[in-house]
Amino acid sequence: MMKLNLKSAAAVCCAAAMVFFGGCKQDDGKIRIGVSIPSADHGWTGGVVWWAEQTKKDLERKDPKLEIIISTAKDSAEQVSRIENLLVQGVKALVVLPHEPAPLTGICEQVKQRGLYLVVVDRGLQKDVQDLTVAGDNAEFGRRCAEEMAKRLQGKGDILIMEGVPCEVNTLRVTAFRQVMKKHPSIRILESQTSGWSQEKGLKLMENFLQKYPKIDAVWAGDDDVLTGALKAYAESKRHDIQFFIGGGGSKAIVKRVLDRDPLVPVNVTYPPRMIAFGIEYAAAAVKGKPMVKSKRAIIPAEVITPANAKYYYQPSSPY
Amino acid sequence: MNEPKLTPPQTGIWKKYLNDARPFLALALLLAVCMLSNESFRSVQNLLNITRQVACTGIAALGMTLVIIAGGIDLSVGSLLALSGVSALMVMGRIADPRLAVAAAMLVSLGAGIAGGVLNGLLVTAGKVPPFIATLGTLSIFRSLALYLANAGTLSSSNEFFRETGSCTPLGIPLATICFLVLAAGFAVLLNRTAFGRHVCAVGANPRAARYAAIGVGKVQFMTYVLAGLSAGIAAFLFSSRLNAISSTDAGLSYELDAIAGAVIGGTAMNGGRGSIAGTVAGVFILGIISNALDMWGTSANLQGLVKGLIIIVAVLIQRQNND
Amino acid sequence: MNADSSPLLEISGLTKSYSGVTVLDGVSFEVGRGEILGLIGENGAGKSTLIKCINGVTAPDRGTLRFDGRPYAPSIRNALKKGLVTIPQEFNLADTLTVRENIFLGRELKRHGFLDSAAMREETRRLLEELRCDLTPDQKVSELSIARKQLVEIARALSRDCRLLIMDEPTTVLNPPEVRNLFRIMRAMRDRGISLIYVSHKLEEVREICDAVVILRDGKFIERTPASEISVREMAERMVGRELKGIFPPKNPLGPNAPEVLKVEGLSQAQTLHDISFTLRRGEILGLAGLGGSGRTELAETLYGIRRKTAGSIRIAGEEVNPDSPGKAVRAGIAYLSEDRQKAGTIQSFGLAENISLISLRKYCSRGFIRTAAETEAAERYRERFRIKANSLRAPVRELSGGNQQKGALAKSLDGAPRIFIFDEPTRGIDINSRGEIYHFIHQLAADGMACLVISSDLEEILGLCSRTAVMREGTIAGFLEGDRLTEKEIMYLATGVKGAEK
Repeated sequence: MMKLNLKSAAAVCCAAAMVFFGGCKQDDGKIRIGVSIPSADHGWTGGVVWWAEQTKKDLERKDPKLEIIISTAKDSAEQVSRIENLLVQGVKALVVLPHEPAPLTGICEQVKQRGLYLVVVDRGLQKDVQDLTVAGDNAEFGRRCAEEMAKRLQGKGDILIMEGVPCEVNTLRVTAFRQVMKKHPSIRILESQTSGWSQEKGLKLMENFLQKYPKIDAVWAGDDDVLTGALKAYAESKRHDIQFFIGGGGSKAIVKRVLDRDPLVPVNVTYPPRMIAFGIEYAAAAVKGKPMVKSKRAIIPAEVITPANAKYYYQPSSPY
Repeated sequence: MNEPKLTPPQTGIWKKYLNDARPFLALALLLAVCMLSNESFRSVQNLLNITRQVACTGIAALGMTLVIIAGGIDLSVGSLLALSGVSALMVMGRIADPRLAVAAAMLVSLGAGIAGGVLNGLLVTAGKVPPFIATLGTLSIFRSLALYLANAGTLSSSNEFFRETGSCTPLGIPLATICFLVLAAGFAVLLNRTAFGRHVCAVGANPRAARYAAIGVGKVQFMTYVLAGLSAGIAAFLFSSRLNAISSTDAGLSYELDAIAGAVIGGTAMNGGRGSIAGTVAGVFILGIISNALDMWGTSANLQGLVKGLIIIVAVLIQRQNND
Repeated sequence: MNADSSPLLEISGLTKSYSGVTVLDGVSFEVGRGEILGLIGENGAGKSTLIKCINGVTAPDRGTLRFDGRPYAPSIRNALKKGLVTIPQEFNLADTLTVRENIFLGRELKRHGFLDSAAMREETRRLLEELRCDLTPDQKVSELSIARKQLVEIARALSRDCRLLIMDEPTTVLNPPEVRNLFRIMRAMRDRGISLIYVSHKLEEVREICDAVVILRDGKFIERTPASEISVREMAERMVGRELKGIFPPKNPLGPNAPEVLKVEGLSQAQTLHDISFTLRRGEILGLAGLGGSGRTELAETLYGIRRKTAGSIRIAGEEVNPDSPGKAVRAGIAYLSEDRQKAGTIQSFGLAENISLISLRKYCSRGFIRTAAETEAAERYRERFRIKANSLRAPVRELSGGNQQKGALAKSLDGAPRIFIFDEPTRGIDINSRGEIYHFIHQLAADGMACLVISSDLEEILGLCSRTAVMREGTIAGFLEGDRLTEKEIMYLATGVKGAEK
């Protein structure tokens, strides 16, 4: 008797909860847009998720007929499943920031085959099937970082590069950086290793670098999360030989340091997670029949943040 | 002679059937509730999607169920999946003819899975390493090999035939689903209707008694690990053919936990000796449906782990209530 | 005998059912102070359930208990608080710990928050001295013999200020001198005012040590009588409710031409056996007697492939065999009914049919699949042949009584069509009725040509069943006895190497 009671109670509770939380999705004339992004596993992707949600609130407020469904996934396989679910929910457009190009290409092709509007943000696919690409200018990013570094080193010094996850985004940046540095033969790149764009790995990598090289002039951390980790390692080591670091991405913590004229962080280069917002806005416009952008690529330029203009880039409310 | 008290016949049996049916009742209830409350969930395409989404973890769970029933555990299933997939794609990349390449990929994937299973089996039986420790070790070893071979990246293929195989739907049902159900049927028959299956249960329930009954305990356990490895290999092939790529870092990550969860919800006892393949299938579907339904309802992806954990705990509690 | 004549424990109307089967039916009786009360009954009569209700492991459906004049709600904690201690058949000791640690397990003495080993050691020494046994507090329990482990359990009970001690089949694993010692301790405890409940199948012992006897049958209380006023035969009859015939079938003399089935020469096994030689003929029942630890089970395990022999030869029907696994032994025609029924003889969660077919499963398979109909049919045949009382062939065997489980294990070993059958303590812990049936089966098997080897610590069993006995001592055969020389006295002499050691 006892057992029957527990089981029935559990079952009834579950059922009630589900019906309560569930909702009937009727065909109510709403225009649905699906947004598939990675889950917030580091600062930059956290920024993407935040901007996506801001944009959703914004656009839905301005146009009640619009419904934006945001779906996060922790890896490529899960992302494919999520996109399948979005398709079932009847979205008219899909904005996707793929975890990886290859695994997502197939499903994106399917999306196009159904005649939906497809926007790809930041990382590309194996095949260019999308209607619109919104990305930062990775080559410009690398170039600007290199130029700022070379300028401040006055053309000579020993530097270290901390790369990101091996992928196209990383390759574009690093290649551009190195090309600029080739023009400054007295700047020596001591070593270049991957930090995986993670703060923790950045810290470990910096510790190793500090062990190996007794004198370092500057470090390109390549990303603001990595920069935070590297700065911590440097502070703990109590060394004084490094002149400055350059990160990348425009996170508010680093921008604040630029604003405060921190000698170790004189400058930053943007790579805004806000690009997802643009992607969603463009998708919404296209679906309503009024595309905002004529060409197939919308590239957001990489801008240099200095103490002079830092206040325009400082956004305390965003998580990134 | 004193006649024994006549008790209502078969009370023991009815209780056992009710116990075994529990995961299916839960599954039916869950399906009913989800379908009633959400229109997107109801569509045939979505239901087919769910079956495809659970297929790979499901196949891994089938092998895991056998291992657990025989009294062991295999934590390396996910990593073995990654290694098998990576090996398969590497081989496929070197063969020009698309059909031949896919055939080779299939063979390599299965072969790698079996090899991994053999290693696990030898460590546990001949090496007498406790299964938890042995497969914890091979979990790291397999993942590391996968990362090494793929340089910690994602291997992708340009083989169109491969992708077609992965996304083909014979009779409208995804290939992965068909493989899952066929494999489940095969394992169920193996477990319930063959001498080997009986031996697996005996070994898990009481290895000493099994030994005294002239059952080769080591051989039986070894075979369960090989079958688990084979399952991982099959899952690897289906997994990578669906995405036409495999990520050495992410593929199969924490699959072992999902496989164990599916088996446990389906009624397999962690101590061994008792379990059912059908139950595991139900358990895997329950997890898949919940994941899908939560997504349809817009719940944050981050809370899914919470729901999954709660289900596992509730499932075990309900089972324990009935085993006093 | 005692100043206070009110009962220590009063049980009234105790009733308990499991899944619709009534196991205890309104049992009521009293346990006096400073009294040794015997509790006897067939397997399935309700003895263990009654004990579990008293010491709080199970809750009765109906009924009340009073302890020391006050109402007593049985729970494990309550029982300990009141000084109600149970020593189960399979001891509750932690093998990896020492004597001292076991005695104080859960109630360690502390000083300033740390364990006070010195005090515990001293207390342990005192208890052990009282029991007059030569154990030291720091000996590891895993190294002790079963009799000594029992003494540790008793010491633990004493250290808990026990007032009522329940002992479940305490002497099945003891040899006669150890039984003597146990009885001495029990009497000393009784004289100190402690009451004891003594659950046993060994009716002579019950009569010897108990002041009074309670008889249960089919879950009902039948009778409580002073031990001196009832004979062993009457006890057995009240237990089964009918008149008893002799339980041992008449022995068949072995024909002179019976061929040799098993010939063992110079068999040795690393640390446990050395230089064992004997022969076994078709249709013969050979007994194997000896004290605990003399190597009888080890010999059986070596023949059955659980242990590997290190020297000597084993010949079956003239052919040399080397059983290094049970599979090989079975194929060579050897069957072994283990003494550890629950852990090695049956799989508790399997049904009767699945247990019976376990060794010879291939027989029931066609094209790889088990034919359940054939399996069920075979199980049905065994159920009839051995009169196994089971309502269902597929319900877990843990629901059957010990005797019926043993019959199932017997059927399993028999199903492999062996030529040689080794019985290891075949009736240990089994009620008298089933015991008689098992003797009858062994006798029948031998008459049909099976060569039987019966290992037993029950001398009455050896004498009643076997026409020839080997006696082992310290890993080898001390001698063979048959005919006139096959007496308890001679067996004990060979087993201990000491004349006059039997009583």
